[in-house]
Amino acid sequence: MRIQTLLLLFCLVLPQLSPAAGPPTNQDFPQGVSSISPGSELWREIRQRDGAILEGTSQVKSVDSGVLINARGEEWARFRVTKLSSYGGIAIAAIFVIVILLYVVRGKILIDGGLSGRMVRRFTDYERIVHWTLAIVFLFLAITGLILLLGKPLLIPLFGKEVFSVFASASKEGHNLFGPLFLVSLVMMFLSFARRNIYEKGDLTWLLKGGGIIGDGHVSGGFFNMGEKTWYWMVILIGFVIAISGLILVSPVFGQGRWIMELSHVVHTIGALILITVSVGHMYLGSIGSEGAMEGMKSGYVDINWADAHHDRWGKVCHDENLIVSAEEYARLQGRKPGDSGELATEQGK
Amino acid sequence: MARMKFYCDAERCIECNACVTACKNENDIPWGVNRRRVVTIKDGEQGERSLSVACMHCSDAPCAVVCPVDCFYTTGDGIVLHDKDICIGCGYCFYACPFGAPQFPKDAAFASRGKMDKCTFCAGGPEEDSSSEEFKKYGRNRLSEGKLPLCAEMCSTKALLAGDADVIADIYRKRVVNRGASAFNWGVSSDIKG
Repeated sequence: MRIQTLLLLFCLVLPQLSPAAGPPTNQDFPQGVSSISPGSELWREIRQRDGAILEGTSQVKSVDSGVLINARGEEWARFRVTKLSSYGGIAIAAIFVIVILLYVVRGKILIDGGLSGRMVRRFTDYERIVHWTLAIVFLFLAITGLILLLGKPLLIPLFGKEVFSVFASASKEGHNLFGPLFLVSLVMMFLSFARRNIYEKGDLTWLLKGGGIIGDGHVSGGFFNMGEKTWYWMVILIGFVIAISGLILVSPVFGQGRWIMELSHVVHTIGALILITVSVGHMYLGSIGSEGAMEGMKSGYVDINWADAHHDRWGKVCHDENLIVSAEEYARLQGRKPGDSGELATEQGK
Repeated sequence: MARMKFYCDAERCIECNACVTACKNENDIPWGVNRRRVVTIKDGEQGERSLSVACMHCSDAPCAVVCPVDCFYTTGDGIVLHDKDICIGCGYCFYACPFGAPQFPKDAAFASRGKMDKCTFCAGGPEEDSSSEEFKKYGRNRLSEGKLPLCAEMCSTKALLAGDADVIADIYRKRVVNRGASAFNWGVSSDIKG
């Protein structure tokens, strides 16, 4: 104590002893006067200014209970609100605008020579069940997820907090409950379609020609074209990441800390936003965007002219192996009398 | 209008956990939920410090920023409260909170979270003051009775202070002045003995 008092006295007296007039400068104190609070370093560590986490202990045993301050949490919160929900909302709005523009400018992609009515088998029943299971689960999870992400800025002003809370609560429970089903259907999707989606010769040409969106001509393709394959692998890979991060988020019982949860949440949301955005394009091209495309996932059969136009290499195999069924046979397979109902009959009448 | 604050004096807290117990008892908190906890840093080492921590009732609360259903609100006294009828138990506030204040009772099925529970500064919730409904959801509303949070009221070393920020700051300032006999202490007990 005495030493400290003496030191303090020395420090106070020192400026007076200095020969230089005027306020003291740094040059007057070559050694400097150490006046760092002994506590400052500790509090800086606790505040995690340097990124290192100082773990303490607590009698309360729960996740991260020994951490006094979680500095990352606020960063994550701001990121979610300012970046994820705003850019996510913009991305989804943008893809709808792009699709509408594409429809207006490019119009429906028609098959040269129209539909023939002669069909060829494209997907088995099992494959269609796998596709639609994944599609329905995906759509449900996308909508419930988007309600949670964008509900605060978009829906609360419309419905008020009380009503929105009911929506959000149902969305959360539904999302959590059906989430694991996404992983199951994803595995089924991987097992039944992976082999045909391996990239092959000719895929690069398809990419270089812009997949036929630019220009008029149809681009050569196999059973699946390059765009479909890329979408498939996006679904499988990003979907897998979404499923795993989702499982981490949905089960807070394994003691995973906040940082893992924040990371999982960001990965989950970004991945989901990418898939949702691209899925809008997929849904457009599979329905009103391309003539005859929907039929493949509806009945499992596609028109041979459609196959020749969009998947000529596969179409050639169908011709060579004589896999084409006549319009009458197709109607019988679909459980309809020839000329009964549906667009098929109209096509025949042409 | 007062601006309510907690302050825990690290030079006084002796890690007795009485604040934790008092809180649990006063507000009838279930097992597994702890609105307040005492954290000890450098336990058993030189420079050991303990701090009692709960919701710090932030001015710009990250929990309120991130809440997807906007269930948080700030009272006129600067207390951050939430509406359990709106809360959906997503857990985001717990990730966002710097202090780990939000707590979640484990709901029945699939270990899903129940509605969030946290320190209310003993000020209840949106229900009618001191009603049985309010007590069931949020615990005691001591503020409406003119009392301060029990954790601070019964702190044996007066380490934990609760009340108007100006008053708390004043008390702490006086402590620092009295404590800081040496310019090298800066209100924190020195490692140097002499």
